[in-house]
Amino acid sequence: MAALLETRDVTIRFGGLVAVNLLNISVDKGDIVAIIGPNGAGKTTAFNLITGVYKPTEGDILLNGEKINGKRPDEIAKMGIARTFQNIRLFKELTVLENVLIATHLNVKTGLFSAVLKLPHARKEEKEMRKFAEFLLEETGLLQFKDEIASNLPYGLQRRLEIARALATKPRLLLLDEPAAGMNPKESEDLTEFIREIRDKFGLTVLLIEHHMQLVMDISDKIYVLEYGRTIAKGVPAEIQANPAVIKAYLGEEDDKDA
Amino acid sequence: MKTMNKRNLILNIVVIAALIGFIIWAEESRSFGAYNQRIFKTCCIYAICALSMNMVNGFTGLFSLGQPGFMAIGAYVTAFLTVSAQDKISIYKIVPISEGMANLHLPFFAALILGGIIAAVFAFLIGFPVLRLRGDYLAIATLGFSEIIRIFITNAQGITNGPTGINRIPNTYMNLYVVCGILALIMIFILAMMKTSYGRALLAIREDEVAAEAMGINLFKHKMLAFVLSGFFAGIGGGLLASLVGAIGPDQFKFTVAYEILLMVVLGGQGSVSGCVAGAFVVRIALEKLRFLDEPIDFGFIQYKGIGGMRMVVFSVLLMLVIILWRKGIFGSKEFSWDRFFGFFAKFKKSPKKEVIE
Repeated sequence: MAALLETRDVTIRFGGLVAVNLLNISVDKGDIVAIIGPNGAGKTTAFNLITGVYKPTEGDILLNGEKINGKRPDEIAKMGIARTFQNIRLFKELTVLENVLIATHLNVKTGLFSAVLKLPHARKEEKEMRKFAEFLLEETGLLQFKDEIASNLPYGLQRRLEIARALATKPRLLLLDEPAAGMNPKESEDLTEFIREIRDKFGLTVLLIEHHMQLVMDISDKIYVLEYGRTIAKGVPAEIQANPAVIKAYLGEEDDKDA
Repeated sequence: MKTMNKRNLILNIVVIAALIGFIIWAEESRSFGAYNQRIFKTCCIYAICALSMNMVNGFTGLFSLGQPGFMAIGAYVTAFLTVSAQDKISIYKIVPISEGMANLHLPFFAALILGGIIAAVFAFLIGFPVLRLRGDYLAIATLGFSEIIRIFITNAQGITNGPTGINRIPNTYMNLYVVCGILALIMIFILAMMKTSYGRALLAIREDEVAAEAMGINLFKHKMLAFVLSGFFAGIGGGLLASLVGAIGPDQFKFTVAYEILLMVVLGGQGSVSGCVAGAFVVRIALEKLRFLDEPIDFGFIQYKGIGGMRMVVFSVLLMLVIILWRKGIFGSKEFSWDRFFGFFAKFKKSPKKEVIE
């Protein structure tokens, strides 16, 4: 199967610091792939490279075989990559519904003036956008909060809203940056289920960064391990768990009981 | 809920009818007086300028101070095109105006709209370099461009009559119906726009640029949209101001005008249409009504000689108090609504009850 997302020797340097070095990942359509690694390994930088926030110093990023490096973040979003953020970045002062509606704007066809004049086709499009946004809120269990101000939601629901908002851009590839951060074991178990559910329902491919090993091992079809910007291992969860380099770099010296 | 909506609808109709009634009375009756009429018109015109600034500063979260430049463009276009040919020939003394230029003439409304459009075109051109800047840098750049426009106007004597400016601008249409009507149209347009997807996109940029861009919003395009609309409204405001005052010169469009408008927006509430209009009225009326402070007052036991500029001192102190006590402005970033209005008073009603319980 052809890879949906592929990075080829992607490298970025900030001055003398090589934040990501020769990153080669490939994400197959429909898979859930995780990137793990200690803090400062370059995981979020990798996300920022894929979504166009940073431009790679070297290397290429391909979505469905098409080069996307050098494109702006909004162009990349239009091509079908949506993301969430490590530190939640909602439109805080706006309502839950507005947050999701904003993410449907990239598919708007009506011009400004027909929208202001509420011409029939503009009205129809606005109605469809609302319907779609409400559908997403229903799917993510947020519909009852649709008129709440986003910053008033509890933390866990804010994370969910970020995912709902990302889904509203109708992505093919969803990037989740530490979706389980700050969650207790029960919550992250629910999240695992939730990510699988949306993957199947919306035909998504998911690439995620996560520190909760339980979640990563449960959910991932493939795992990449980064350390100091380099990829030190890749493989299915069982391989990663058995990989001595990974254990040394990341999981700690817990191998006594396996041995 | 339903009875509330009905109440709000009835109140809206009553208030709008009362406003229209007041405008008709103010325009037709002698008792309102030419002086008050003029203050009222000035308030409306500055409200338009405040709305123009709010488009960029309030809704899109940028910090632009370019209003005086765009107002000047609108004012000069309107003035140039509405002053009659003979008047122009007699006004342009230092550098005589060519006959072809003198004969350029348009009816008032066409000239006003053209003024707005030309201001918008300038906003578009200026927007290319400056909208890539953020925060304070954008403010400095727009302020700079505004000054460049003013200096250009001062020196392009063949077109603008230089520092002397243009006078004898006809004010045939400067009645309250026209001024209030244009303000109402602009308010309706902005309120309708903020309910569309484009309006929400602007708010998203204000809330979080990074997230907005990641959700597929083209930052530059939408900032430009706000900036161009803002230029258009400022141009219309400038054109109206020129017709109301009757004479314009480059000094009327100094950068201090930007601060005055900023004051209205901040005082009224950034991001609120009703707030900006209220802010403009409060500032203009206060500046007029505090004039007595500049003049001698006889208290009987003490004579106050009157200090020129005293009203500005008092006004600034009042302003500081408002900003300290009411940091988000009178209306915050929300629009006026009856539910909020009654909610505000309900707070006062409820508080004594609590004491009874205790």
